[in-house]
Amino acid sequence: MLKAYEELRAKSDEVWKNTQARTVIRVPIATCSIAAGARETLEALESAVKERGLDVDVQTVGERGLCWLEPLVEIVKADGSAVLYEHVTSDKVEQLLDEALDDVSADLAFAVVEGTDVEGLQRLDDFDLWALQERRLLLRCGIIDPDNIDHYIAHGGYSGLAQALDQSQEEVIQTVSDSTLRGRSGSAFPTGTKWEFLRGKEREPKYLICNADEGDPGAFVNRILMECDPQSVIEGMVIAAHATGATYAFFYLREEYPLAIERMEKAVEQARERGLLGDNILESGLSFDMKIWVGAGSYVCGEESGLLASLDDERGMPRIRPPFPADSGVFEQPTNVNNVETYSDVTLIMEKGLEFYNSVGTEANKGTKIFSLSGHIQRVCVVEVAFGYPLRDLYHAVDPATYQERRKLKALQAGAALAGILPTHIALKLPLDPEAFKPHGVLMGGGGLVFIDDTACIVDLNVMFSWFLEDESCGRCTTCHGGTQRMSEIFRRIGRGGGKSNDYDKMELLGQALQYSNCIHGSASPTIMLRSAEYFREEIDQHINEQRCAAKVCRDLIRYEIDSDSDSDKLPEAAAICPTEAVVQEDEKWSIDQSKCIKCNACKDVAPDAVRIVDAFDVLPLTPVGASATA
Amino acid sequence: MLDTEATLEIAELVAEFKPGNADLIPALHKVQHRYGYVPREAMGVVAKQLRLGEAQVYGAVTFYSELRVIPPPQTRIDWCSGPACRLKGGENVRLALESVLEIGMEENTAGDKVGLHLAQCNGTCDFAPQIWVDGKVVGPLTAADTITLARELKEKN
Ligand SMILES: Cc1cc2nc3c(=O)[nH]c(=O)nc-3n(C[C@H](O)[C@H](O)[C@H](O)COP(=O)(O)O)c2cc1C
Ligand code: SF4
Ligand code: SF4
Ligand code: FES
Repeated sequence: MLKAYEELRAKSDEVWKNTQARTVIRVPIATCSIAAGARETLEALESAVKERGLDVDVQTVGERGLCWLEPLVEIVKADGSAVLYEHVTSDKVEQLLDEALDDVSADLAFAVVEGTDVEGLQRLDDFDLWALQERRLLLRCGIIDPDNIDHYIAHGGYSGLAQALDQSQEEVIQTVSDSTLRGRSGSAFPTGTKWEFLRGKEREPKYLICNADEGDPGAFVNRILMECDPQSVIEGMVIAAHATGATYAFFYLREEYPLAIERMEKAVEQARERGLLGDNILESGLSFDMKIWVGAGSYVCGEESGLLASLDDERGMPRIRPPFPADSGVFEQPTNVNNVETYSDVTLIMEKGLEFYNSVGTEANKGTKIFSLSGHIQRVCVVEVAFGYPLRDLYHAVDPATYQERRKLKALQAGAALAGILPTHIALKLPLDPEAFKPHGVLMGGGGLVFIDDTACIVDLNVMFSWFLEDESCGRCTTCHGGTQRMSEIFRRIGRGGGKSNDYDKMELLGQALQYSNCIHGSASPTIMLRSAEYFREEIDQHINEQRCAAKVCRDLIRYEIDSDSDSDKLPEAAAICPTEAVVQEDEKWSIDQSKCIKCNACKDVAPDAVRIVDAFDVLPLTPVGASATA
Repeated sequence: MLDTEATLEIAELVAEFKPGNADLIPALHKVQHRYGYVPREAMGVVAKQLRLGEAQVYGAVTFYSELRVIPPPQTRIDWCSGPACRLKGGENVRLALESVLEIGMEENTAGDKVGLHLAQCNGTCDFAPQIWVDGKVVGPLTAADTITLARELKEKN
């Protein structure tokens, strides 16, 4: 191992050891915890600790991915014992300090992380949603300070690079190929193969790109890595530079992630200070540097050639290929594009070795994958599981009881707008492996998993997704910008009650036409539409044939009405909240003026028992507003 | 283009950027950071600095949803258009906002007091449906909560 690395490591170990000497209160500062009030908690803790003159350190860390428990404060004592406390908002800080420093606060505690058991308290390792995880890429998240490179190095950081630098380019690429690593963006393209393309190019300089555009709605996998363990991504990129001969990188980060931008910029600076970026990295002769490059809000700029166009002073329109990035990328030079998580995986492979890396996963996909889970579940979270983990088990852990009792899970939307949608009975049978998704006409995608229960309407979801695709189409191909527009028109019309029996033929035709698109944005855009027509036919039929939306979501097929039997105590409040003065009283009798009502649900929010939503089955006839519209 | 005080100021602001150096978006970010939006005059200055056509710069500015061509409002409301928010009533929130403020997405109320912006999911879906008021997450919101909040904002200004 390189001497320069040994020296770095020794110094960082010392820094980390010093943090262990006394009690540390770890406060996660990341986008989810901030939304839950963690910044206020941090401030309150810092001032209370000062005021009380306590001999404890308050330390910023990243988050563990247990978003629904934030702010999730951890107290680690000098004897090594550690307890996690949930929902520690700033008003709970005094209580926490009163109860948790000498003892354990039973009231606020969530789980024991380290040390002896505490009666009545679970251990984190036994907590179902934790126990099922195979935390490798996320191992340091929530434990180290993301703004402190010493913490990273003391936890094994840059040892993977040190080992890679001892190997030839061919050896490193062989190891990456043997790990089966495929692009984690959802591209599933073998990473080793891609690197070999770039290594073989003679034209210099060569560039790397880290694709941190994470535009998939509902995906926040890359964000966690950048906010909570930024150095792991940088390390993977330096390893890639060594393996491919690239000398410079652009880190293309979406503007919508301000904290990730801040953390990545600081991480790059620190890596440079330690000689891990720049000239003669770890005294190995390797020279490589990078720049955090902030995007400006465009989904197709996540597509690699759109990204390249965006870097090259153009509108971010996906380019016509060939040439591929390995031949002509940034500034028309040889370039390799990988996702954030892909680079983190490389770091892990080099640090822990193939045997460890390949010890979990499926035949085709070894190792682990990070997923972000949202939608109709109790526990919005980010988890890391081995490839092949049963989706059903994961679902049960994120939605253990109440949500399920009230509602029935209807669908799973994995991998965002281009990947597809599946009904529950198929989805919950699948292992989390890209190969298992394909036979059902969908993709697993980059890690976003959105759970959908029966309060949602499939037509409405199609309106949302097709509109997103239409809005984000770059406009180069008529098939794509016109086709996505037609998709949203059709679903809007169906949602208004103007659906026709030949709409399915139109969907089929559109699906075929869209194949003639320049990039995957166009060619994959009909996936959700086609899978909906296949798997949720009955529900769409109901809209078309009966002008009925069973979930009572499609606004033109429902009506808000005052329930004449109910007591009207709350109705004055409903009238006051209504933004359009549609709730009216005449001769003691309350009603809703349908010509004014915009169906916003506010009256029902305040007077749930007095307001009813009715559809075609509750009262007939109900003339569908858009029935005459043509498409 | 004639140099005015404004264009000279912008020229100084973007002097560090070079042609063919992946600098267009960074330059526009810097302008927006300073003025809150990309003023018409700035497009010409940036074009000159990077040796691009003004139409190319204009094309880029209007291509990206986070670059603005109108002045920023005093209070900015980002409405999340993501899936988790939609599933939990995000459309009700949008209708409530638009009807109380009497504007649509990407518009400001009179005097640029309050503005609405269509935003993408940032992964704080635990708070769905939500909006961000000047960058701070507010949620989960019912339509009624939203109306109360929007009315307060409207009155305050
Ligand atoms: C419309 C569209 C959007 C995309 N968005 C992203 C993105 O946000 N992040 C990403 O890493 N890849 C995205 N991709 C995939 C990239 O084109 C590219 O395949 C990927 O960055 C390669 O990285 P990987 O091999 O590590 O997966 C997108 C693709 C398409 C068609
Ligand atoms: S398929 Fe769509 S997004 Fe892709 S280049 Fe064509 S118009 Fe642009
Ligand atoms: S749904 Fe909204 S607009 Fe209609 S009556 Fe109720 S509050 Fe008024
Ligand atoms: S969908 Fe609104 S924050 Fe994720």
